[in-house]
Amino acid sequence: MLNMVKENYRVSGFFVFFLIHASVIGAGALSFQHFMLDLSGYDTWIVVLLTGLSLHVILWMIFKMLGNPAKDVIDLHGFLFGKSVGRIVSLALVGYFLLLALTVFRGYIEIIQIWMFPHFPTWLLAFLLVCILYYAVSGGFRVIVGYCFFGLLFSSLLPFFLYFNLKYGHVNNLMPIFYHPVRELLASSKYSGIFFMGFESILLYFPFIKAPENNARWAHIGLLFVTLKYAALMFITFMYFSEGLLQHTFWPTFVMLKVIQLSFIERIEFIFICMWLVIIIPVLCLSIWSCTRIIKRTTNLKPTWSLLAILLAVFLAALPFDDRIKIHGLGVRMVEIGFYFVYAYIPLLFVLYVIRSKFSRTALKTVQPDA
Amino acid sequence: MPDNIYAVLKDTIQSNDLEQSMHAIGEKRIHFTYCRSIVDQKLIDNEVLHRIQTSNAELDDVHALIRVIPLENTKASSDVDEIVQRLIRGFLFVQLEPDLHEGLLIDVADLKRGYRSNNEADNEYSVIGPKAGFVEDLDTNLNLLRKELVSEHLRFEEYIKGSLSQTRVVIVYVDGICNPDYVDTVRQRIADADFDVVFDSSLIDQVITDNANSPFPLYISTERVDRAKYCLLSGQVAVLSGGSPYVISGPSTVFDFFASPEDYYLPWVLASFFRCIRFMGVAFSILASPFYVAVLTFHYSVIPQELLGPIIESRANVPFPPLIEVLLLEITVDMLREAGARLPTKVGQTLGIVGGVVLGTAAVQAGLTSSILIIVVSLSALSSFVTPIFKMANTIRFLRFPFIALAAAWGGLGITMGFLLLIGHLLRLKSLGAPYLLPMFPFRIRDYADSFIRSPFSMTNYRQRYLRPLKLERYKVSKQKDRSDDYNHE
Repeated sequence: MLNMVKENYRVSGFFVFFLIHASVIGAGALSFQHFMLDLSGYDTWIVVLLTGLSLHVILWMIFKMLGNPAKDVIDLHGFLFGKSVGRIVSLALVGYFLLLALTVFRGYIEIIQIWMFPHFPTWLLAFLLVCILYYAVSGGFRVIVGYCFFGLLFSSLLPFFLYFNLKYGHVNNLMPIFYHPVRELLASSKYSGIFFMGFESILLYFPFIKAPENNARWAHIGLLFVTLKYAALMFITFMYFSEGLLQHTFWPTFVMLKVIQLSFIERIEFIFICMWLVIIIPVLCLSIWSCTRIIKRTTNLKPTWSLLAILLAVFLAALPFDDRIKIHGLGVRMVEIGFYFVYAYIPLLFVLYVIRSKFSRTALKTVQPDA
Repeated sequence: MPDNIYAVLKDTIQSNDLEQSMHAIGEKRIHFTYCRSIVDQKLIDNEVLHRIQTSNAELDDVHALIRVIPLENTKASSDVDEIVQRLIRGFLFVQLEPDLHEGLLIDVADLKRGYRSNNEADNEYSVIGPKAGFVEDLDTNLNLLRKELVSEHLRFEEYIKGSLSQTRVVIVYVDGICNPDYVDTVRQRIADADFDVVFDSSLIDQVITDNANSPFPLYISTERVDRAKYCLLSGQVAVLSGGSPYVISGPSTVFDFFASPEDYYLPWVLASFFRCIRFMGVAFSILASPFYVAVLTFHYSVIPQELLGPIIESRANVPFPPLIEVLLLEITVDMLREAGARLPTKVGQTLGIVGGVVLGTAAVQAGLTSSILIIVVSLSALSSFVTPIFKMANTIRFLRFPFIALAAAWGGLGITMGFLLLIGHLLRLKSLGAPYLLPMFPFRIRDYADSFIRSPFSMTNYRQRYLRPLKLERYKVSKQKDRSDDYNHE
């Protein structure tokens, strides 16, 4: 009785690979090197690897508590906190996903304004993106998964470009390894949140996966793939930049692309900034879809209306952030919230879930409105 | 029931082609009623009138007539409505005096007159392979299919559609291969559809489509017999309609429109190469002019210095912004295409030369467009016709215009936005309920054997799984001895 997501709305198990990949790669891949540099310096690529590995534990927890039978975090809240309190907690998650979407959204607008169109008004760009988001999200979950697939295709082009940076890089930059004490590495991992922001939406789309328990490996493979990709990107960044230069470079990935020169094309980063939209759309869609999903499940508001409301909120909220400092501040805040959400809240839920299921013998039974 | 149907018919069908004649054979008087325009006069003369005249049997009533006439479709009737309906479909109504309230209906319709008897599949021409195409006559088309798919599982389901045209619409599928869900869907949608006249099967295509507001064709439409057969045996449902040389077939995916029957007649290496050329051509065709607009309007720094020189030189005298320049040429090319499709063949060729060569050169010399743009536009016009299915070629010609507008407004970002909207649209599209982007999305790795490339026949022995056929295997692949391996055997 629990899982009411109809069969034809669900996606095959291995799509979790695309979902995890796309939802993680979107947010931070452009500037995470800069974000994480302060504390751990050139050892940051180790931090990335460690964070990635720790996320596998979190992912395992998520699969444990949401699986058997498949449910989403709203059911879980209801199960743990009771119906009405659970509902309030779930609604609080709307704020989280909204903030997540806003960070990515405003971050991309800033990139466009700084790199390509300095005089592009924020409201117009925000409006255009909101229109695209409306079209994308209103297609439903399957369409979003499609976007994830295309996001993967496009983001897979990046490693090929980085070959040029490898050519000019110095491995010596990274020596000596483990120069920074473990404490600093751990402190830095707090900011590594920037690169996994977005993958939490699995809490909502979990019941949309066919036989999720059997397909946990795809989620783990997706996560591992992203982690390796990020670590490699980090590695190459440090080979290419000096520490001092990196401290003053907000978007190292784009700066690295600038060095590429081909006979028929220059300034590859322009093309890549445009393509980056294809890569971040899945994160935006998944976050916004998660918002509407929560609202639909808790209040029975029609998703069309809640989608419009959420998009209006994102649009309006993006306007006041009009300079670098505010946007950076938003990013840092979001990373911190994300860190606590993933490393404190999800384990907490897991512990509560384990305790609760020990005590209540009866199987978890809640009723979902049909999808 | 009127006593004298003979007189009633005259009043009911007040058309000049209604022929009523009376023949005296011995003491009998026989009345014929028929519509002259639709019957086969020879059949009436030779098989009806002649037989009656030479018959030795006693012709007392219409039932005795049936024994004399060597035609299959006969029926005795006294119902005026029925008789009228039959008459206008090419039946002959025979009455024997004195029983004028009853008569015999004999099918003498001539339904082939005026139709082409053969078709060279001119619009989907291929150098290699059979060139037989469908024609307007439905029976000939069904014959073409039945003749070459010799299987008791080949099913024809006939419906009459069109309140005025009474067109025969036939659903064709191979039972035991085609998924019955698709047949049910087609059956249901055709049953729900209402027409007055079914002009062409593409009309049915648009009515039973999953999304009528999409520029993309959701069903394959082909006039090639081999292609229709291939669709059927891979598990699709085809729909034929009387008076139309086109067969529509679904569920089809966007990749189906880029496969040509010729691909299967060429070695797989060549076929795959040509197929890739087609996809590149499509991408080029949609994106070339938008890129030109975007780069020249916003991102000239993307062009390397050496290339920038020639572009600036060719654009130095052009007084328009890139958008106007591109629109001018693109619309000219589209007008040429449209005119070329309407003009008689011989005039069309001349006009092509005038339009293509003279106009292009003159436009550059007059300084209205840059010569580089002429190259871009004519190449993209050329590459839009690499798609084997004409309907898709039209879609691709259309798609570039929104992209040009977006590129002019927001450069590369606009193109990306257009791309995202296009992807979103394609992801939503369904053909008979099956996703349009299969096997790319939902990702079906095993169906890639025949998508971007055409794999060798030893690898395509299974039907496309996304069509959910009831029988997966098409043919058996025997493990062949390696014929090329001389080195190990010498």
